[in-house]
Amino acid sequence: MLLLLVSILFFNSIESLSAYGSSLFAKTVWDPENSVYGVLGPILGTIITSLISVSVSLILSLSLAITIAEYLKGYLKKIVSSIVEFMGGLPTIIYAVWASEYLVPFLKNNVMKPLHTSLPFIPLFSCRPITGFSTFAAGVALGISTVPYVASIILEAYENIPLIYREACYGIGATKYEAIKTLLSLTKPAIIAALILGFARSLGETTIVALTIGNSMTLTPCLFAPGYTVSALVASQFANAFLYQHAESVLYASMLVTTLISIILSLYASKLIIDWRSRVVV
Amino acid sequence: MCSWRRVRERLFKITVFGVAILALTPLFHLIMVVFINGLPTILEAGLEFFVDLPPTPLSRELGGIAPSLVGTFLMTMISLPITIVLGLFTAILVTEFPKSRLSILVDTVAKSLSSVPTIAVSMAMFSLVVVLVNTIPKLRAFLNPAGSALTGSLALVIIALPISYTYFSTFLRSVPATYKEAAYSIGMSRWAVIIRVVIPVVKKSILVAVLMTMARIMGETAALLFTAGRYRNGLPASIISPVDAIPLLIFDYILSPFEVWRRVAWGATLILLLFYMLIFFVVKVVVKEVKLL
Repeated sequence: MLLLLVSILFFNSIESLSAYGSSLFAKTVWDPENSVYGVLGPILGTIITSLISVSVSLILSLSLAITIAEYLKGYLKKIVSSIVEFMGGLPTIIYAVWASEYLVPFLKNNVMKPLHTSLPFIPLFSCRPITGFSTFAAGVALGISTVPYVASIILEAYENIPLIYREACYGIGATKYEAIKTLLSLTKPAIIAALILGFARSLGETTIVALTIGNSMTLTPCLFAPGYTVSALVASQFANAFLYQHAESVLYASMLVTTLISIILSLYASKLIIDWRSRVVV
Repeated sequence: MCSWRRVRERLFKITVFGVAILALTPLFHLIMVVFINGLPTILEAGLEFFVDLPPTPLSRELGGIAPSLVGTFLMTMISLPITIVLGLFTAILVTEFPKSRLSILVDTVAKSLSSVPTIAVSMAMFSLVVVLVNTIPKLRAFLNPAGSALTGSLALVIIALPISYTYFSTFLRSVPATYKEAAYSIGMSRWAVIIRVVIPVVKKSILVAVLMTMARIMGETAALLFTAGRYRNGLPASIISPVDAIPLLIFDYILSPFEVWRRVAWGATLILLLFYMLIFFVVKVVVKEVKLL
């Protein structure tokens, strides 16, 4: 089934790959009338969005995992972990609705505008946030939605550390902070794997991105301008793509790239976790 | 020295707590605004919200989301049993014969399948249907290139299969080996052990897996974009006619310039959220902890 899936994507992309070659991934153009295409913008957009998403979810989920594992006990712990589980299964479309109607304006007024007015000379913040729908907003929204996923992996790894390590830390008189720091350094490979998995998940996420990124075929270094990711591009253009020569195939090609990156990354990450578990836990 | 350690301890605790609360705030805000925006729509539209067609952009009436409700229901009913049966059987196969080459292959495929972007599944399904119908015209009786409940359900099966498989295999693996050994020692066959020992032990967990898979199927958007047909001007005539789904309706309406569509989208979001909450609470009553996938 997997093979079938990838080969369907592949056969549909051959047409555009042979027509455009590598120039397809070196330009940012979407001009179906003249059948000129370049998907560098969306591919970079995908990677940048996922990077923002991973950094957001790293900060949030690491604290969340430490809180649940170290500071909460009894009922409170159960309630908080239930909330995290609830967040994890929530349909992404609900996140998307919330993000597009509330998170985007909030970020525009409280994060993007101050950053732009105070630091306009940094290219990342150089453009004025007009609507708020931007690469940055999409990244943050994605990050929030991947928190439960990343947090649960970190938490599982953290609680799997054998008790002797913890006892050893407290045995030499470490404070809780010092103990947590030591234990976290032990889980580092698992945390990295969790981040890679979060990254892979963000790569393919469609719903949230399509409703928050602003859908525009431009390539700027600025994070506050609307952009595209591959999946958002597909979501908005695929329905009309059959009208133009090559358009459909170009979409297949860019999706093939994303899919392959995603599969490779997640296989690598799960291997990391398995290796780590056999080294530290057992 | 000692006091600096104590201060650092405090600072660390406060930061971690603060960020953890920050991580949970979006959820509460989200639930709040969905209720604030969705409830008036449903109250105003009343019961018609569940039986009417969506409004035209300029209409004053709110209409309803009947086509989407029916579509989601239909596709869940088709794809859930297929997913559960396939997922359960592969999970049994892999847990019973963990060393066989087939099992290792299945495990890897499941892992990579769950990382394939859902929209890629949608595209591949769409193109598969078009190719099949063009090469074998007879298949037109089952597959509608314009999208149908059946095609949508098949895409959903591909999305949900790795999830249900992972749930089932985790649960099956949690059965203590001593139970199985005891059953083998009194001369039960492999199959009998699975049916009469393993399955009864994980009965509750199987219900959980079914419900969580169902939640996933109901909320899936991207997989249906090009496979379901997004037809919302009437109820589907059969399972091969184009349908709509609640997430698709929300996706199309929430950013539209028409106020009435936005309001319908909020109402639909509330319905979806309530469905999900219901499933989640049932799961919580059945078991205490849900493993996230």
